[in-house]
Amino acid sequence: MKIEVKALSHTYDVQVLDNINLVLDEYKAVAIIGVSGSGKSTLLRILSGLEQPTRGEVFVNGRSVKEPGYKKTVGFVFQNHNLFPHLSLLENITLILEKTRGMSKEEAHAIAMENLRLMSLEDQVNKVPKNISGGQAQRASIARALSVNPETIFLDEPTSSLDPILTHEVLTAVENLRNIGKGFIFVTHVISFVRDFADYVIFMHEGKIIEQGPPTFLDNPQEEATKAFMQKVR
Amino acid sequence: MNKKVSYLVSVGIFILFAGVVVIRQRTPFNLSLLSGYETLVFEGFRNTIYASFIALFGSVVLGFIFYLLSASKVRFFHAFTNVFTEIIYGTPLLVMIFAMAFVIGPAFINRPSQQEVHILGVVGIIIYITPYMTNIFKSAFSSISDEQYMAMDLFGFTPFQRYRYIIIPQVIRILMPPLMNNFSLIIKGSALLSVLSYRELFYAIQIVQSRTFAFTEAFLLMWALYLIITIPLSQMTRWLERRWALE
Repeated sequence: MKIEVKALSHTYDVQVLDNINLVLDEYKAVAIIGVSGSGKSTLLRILSGLEQPTRGEVFVNGRSVKEPGYKKTVGFVFQNHNLFPHLSLLENITLILEKTRGMSKEEAHAIAMENLRLMSLEDQVNKVPKNISGGQAQRASIARALSVNPETIFLDEPTSSLDPILTHEVLTAVENLRNIGKGFIFVTHVISFVRDFADYVIFMHEGKIIEQGPPTFLDNPQEEATKAFMQKVR
Repeated sequence: MNKKVSYLVSVGIFILFAGVVVIRQRTPFNLSLLSGYETLVFEGFRNTIYASFIALFGSVVLGFIFYLLSASKVRFFHAFTNVFTEIIYGTPLLVMIFAMAFVIGPAFINRPSQQEVHILGVVGIIIYITPYMTNIFKSAFSSISDEQYMAMDLFGFTPFQRYRYIIIPQVIRILMPPLMNNFSLIIKGSALLSVLSYRELFYAIQIVQSRTFAFTEAFLLMWALYLIITIPLSQMTRWLERRWALE
């Protein structure tokens, strides 16, 4: 997975990202960490094409995130699963495949079932999101992200609303995807997962990347903000 | 006391109370006095339903138009719907029906006929219910989260597909229960059309009462007929709320 970010700044009412530059190559799983409000979710959304940056250029695997077709290369897992609540887990996937990827009913059904099975949800496929646990819904959301056959899967704090048991359930499911040949970029507060799954970590503070490298740097952070963060999450 | 028994006892208490009221009347209770007036009562009942459906349809359409105006970025439209809503919220339904039939209507229709007065009365109900419908549309559309719009965008749904497969199916589920509540309000409110001599249920019953002097009998019959529509409607509303809940 290649990521190239050039002079990226982003502003809502206040500046949330401040002149970010980043060049990464050949990493499979990149974690973005930092305290709330540090800009990590915004960076993730810009990398995924969900939001357009105010200034700067962003390329993922050689494609600009501004390209119209870029979003089709992306799978996204939202904080609160964000499944369409009126559709069953199966329909949540088949609707996308049939309507936006032009697949036949049978083809869409087969792919949806394959990915739901991969997430151990084969018994739940006809249930609507309100009738399953938060962990199952989040796994269904991962299955949905996988179904569109993305190059990169983005996860935005996928366990922030889950208890420790469900968190473990979801993160184990993600870890099992390590060798499926997709790139992962994710935001999380679960440092043990970052250590286990990420091969590159970006630490953000006040809209800037202040420390980055393989996860081992978390054992011996150099910056004061990173040290303070690590003491809190340890 | 379990739930079923509690409800049966409660219904029994109200039936008993109705019985006490009947017994304490000065004249003996005699339902047979109403015989021969079935057609008149049925016609009233039918007219109540008919006028209510028209008012429902009209207020849904107008309510949706006002929702679109209130959701518009044009500040004037927003202000206009707010002022309209405040005026309606402060107006009793009876005043609205009278105003429409005898003040606003005649300003635009020269000497309205009896039938036109009735239509103006229904228009009064439509206008009165419209802001309530607008509110239903507002809450239904706002319940689709920003994240859902992001997901639709990310997966590449066209605007038509978004509405057809994702937005409208959810909006209908959220919309239906309060819409049915409003329908119940309309049915009850339609009794006020009797002041325009529109032959709906309340007016038909008044005719029966004046001809038979069977006040209690006719009154109870009318009350029962209203409840026959409104109670199943409210039960159905609750059932739909449970069955169609999205979260």
